[in-house]
Amino acid sequence: MKKIFKAISMLALTSVMACGIAACGGGDNGEVDSSGNTIVKIMFHVDEKSTEGQAYKKRIDAFNTAYKDKKIKASATYKARTAGASSYETELNLLKTEGTLPDIITFDAPNCASYAQSKYLYDISSLVPQDIQDDFLSLNKYDGKLYGLPIQESSAGFYYNKKIFRDANIDVSSYTVENPWTFDQFKQVCAQIKASGKTAVDMRMDATKDETATYLLYPFIYASGGSFASDDGYTATGYFDSAASQNGFRFLKDLIDNEYTSYAIGATDFFTGKVGMYLSSGWTIPDLDNKYKDTFASRDDWGLLPYPQGVAKASATGSWCFGITDNNRKDKSAAKELLLWLTSTESSEAITAATGMIAARKSVNKNYAPGSPEEVLLKQLQLTGTARPSTVAYPTFSICFNQVIAHLQNENLAGTLSAQTKSLQTEMNRLKNLKG
Amino acid sequence: MAVSTLIILAVFFAVFLGLAVLDIVMSKKKNQKYRVRSSATAYLMLLPAAVLAFLFILLPILYSLGYAFTNYYLLTPNDIKFIGFDNFVNVFKEIGEKGTLYHAIINTLIFVVGVVPLQIGMALGLALFTNRKVRGVKIFKVCFFAPVVISLSVTSFLWLQILSPSETGLLNSFLGLFGAKPHDWLRDPNTAMLCIIILSAWQGCGYQMLIFTSGLSNIRNDLYEAAALDGANAWQKFKTVTWPGLRSTFVYIIITVFIGACRVMTQPMLMTGYQDHTVTLSYYMYTQGYTYRWVGYSSAVALIMTIVIGTITLIQRRVFREK
Repeated sequence: MKKIFKAISMLALTSVMACGIAACGGGDNGEVDSSGNTIVKIMFHVDEKSTEGQAYKKRIDAFNTAYKDKKIKASATYKARTAGASSYETELNLLKTEGTLPDIITFDAPNCASYAQSKYLYDISSLVPQDIQDDFLSLNKYDGKLYGLPIQESSAGFYYNKKIFRDANIDVSSYTVENPWTFDQFKQVCAQIKASGKTAVDMRMDATKDETATYLLYPFIYASGGSFASDDGYTATGYFDSAASQNGFRFLKDLIDNEYTSYAIGATDFFTGKVGMYLSSGWTIPDLDNKYKDTFASRDDWGLLPYPQGVAKASATGSWCFGITDNNRKDKSAAKELLLWLTSTESSEAITAATGMIAARKSVNKNYAPGSPEEVLLKQLQLTGTARPSTVAYPTFSICFNQVIAHLQNENLAGTLSAQTKSLQTEMNRLKNLKG
Repeated sequence: MAVSTLIILAVFFAVFLGLAVLDIVMSKKKNQKYRVRSSATAYLMLLPAAVLAFLFILLPILYSLGYAFTNYYLLTPNDIKFIGFDNFVNVFKEIGEKGTLYHAIINTLIFVVGVVPLQIGMALGLALFTNRKVRGVKIFKVCFFAPVVISLSVTSFLWLQILSPSETGLLNSFLGLFGAKPHDWLRDPNTAMLCIIILSAWQGCGYQMLIFTSGLSNIRNDLYEAAALDGANAWQKFKTVTWPGLRSTFVYIIITVFIGACRVMTQPMLMTGYQDHTVTLSYYMYTQGYTYRWVGYSSAVALIMTIVIGTITLIQRRVFREK
């Protein structure tokens, strides 16, 4: 009896192990559930419990209710990005390697080129009706094909402390998106703030550990007439290190050399009244509205100025997008329904109400008050929004840009630019060789 | 599961089974029934752990070895081509041109040379301090061990606040009391790595302190008594009794701290980002593999790093072996 029991136990143990190993192989692809619903899998880049995550969850629940009769059901996972090591991108790469990409993913706009070329994304040019495409402020295209639709739009500007400006006798009322201030006027304002005893501006130059510094500062290079890469995204030499690009970086360097900004400004110094201006995106608006009441009791205490212009006008743009993946699922009709649902005007209103960002759809009329920070950002998007370079080597570009920003205090700006351009070009060459 | 993985798994099972059968046959136990049954039971009990170790430790190493000779780009996993030693050539080219890899090697060397003696020295000192039979010394043990249980990520963020470059940063405001100007500790190439060394030693020394404490408890008290009778002072007791008694513990600690130091990545990643003055080998490998997506190249760097660290470890064992 004991022998039989032992034999059965051994057999059971071995079977469990074998099943466990077999389960690693995938098995059921989960395209249709037991109720006959076509499952559409989507992965979001935020924490489900965050404000943005909750907004997505509500839209997913609404989709499942609306499409119940059509037997389509969305199944969402949330993989929050983290600073430094991006767990979302890592998860995406792992799923691609396993061959289990969800049907829809979110991706940051600058990654469109590399994801499209590497067959992460599916060409949705024919899936999205032209009238809907025309309603977007921007589209995510690569090589002439459409690969993504923005969740929301993003722009940035200079939040300023009206009390500090009043005390320094600075009048910026004439600087608008249509008639922006110049680089020289910007420096003049900085000098006046510095003379009044405050730090002039927080240019976020310490934010070089992630995409923040790149996102906020790249427009200055375009505004100086410079650029970063050729149109095909495979040449950096002569672009990243061009004389015009160097002028853009030199403008930023001058701000440090003149002590208008530094790497040592505390994260809350603007919010506690120590800094006159703060370069940031629309995500700062809810913070100013709801927190720091001691410094900013109401919107009468702060304002938003557009990017200054150099030889050209340029401002930051590009946010996260939805895209259908090029996974092994041939029928994209269900994924198309979910994509159009999540980028509809209703979803756009609901999501941006939660995040405070600009709606990606032109027809979403939020009736922003004239002169309000939201209106400034929207106008800036429409008139001067300039996307980051479209290149498959974007991760390398971002690191190289951050390296230049981090070393602006060095005397040899040309040398730094040259070294980073070389590094970027080497990477572009590797990718070009891979492409064949 | 990939076909190649299944094949490798099948080979593993075959080898494991073969070794088990060979062991049973070669066994010198007289009782035939007992020999077969007890050995078979032992191997079956060993099998789950062996499978897990194979799947999650050995298999990734084997795959990495293979990828080192390919042009594996993370976004094109189905388009991997064998490229021979090209990755290794590029590694040495990057070092020769004093690129980021060169800086990573230098920074890792600096970190290892700095943190190993500092952390071990601190751990030994704390172990000697807490080994005394004094009332309340256990509280000190808990305090010294507390940083070990905090994750490196949390420690890094905590020290970011301490080392904040603004005048309100903890260290700057303390030094400001003595008239010092605020300093950007992590941006300055002369101080950044030093700060990382100090925080790493602070965070890790508690663990080695416990190991040293265990080693100290194995030293017989009569040896100290004998030394005292011979008129030895504290230093002489340490040199002739404590240190020889801790030798094997020290060898284990120096090897493990050395290997851990070579793998430093979290602190520079979270505190400074990818900068030439703090990038380390592991950070470089991670960035090449996951951010730049060159898995093949990153695997080649990993292979070279493994060989170098393994060689140094073997040298350490030879140097510190009992004569």
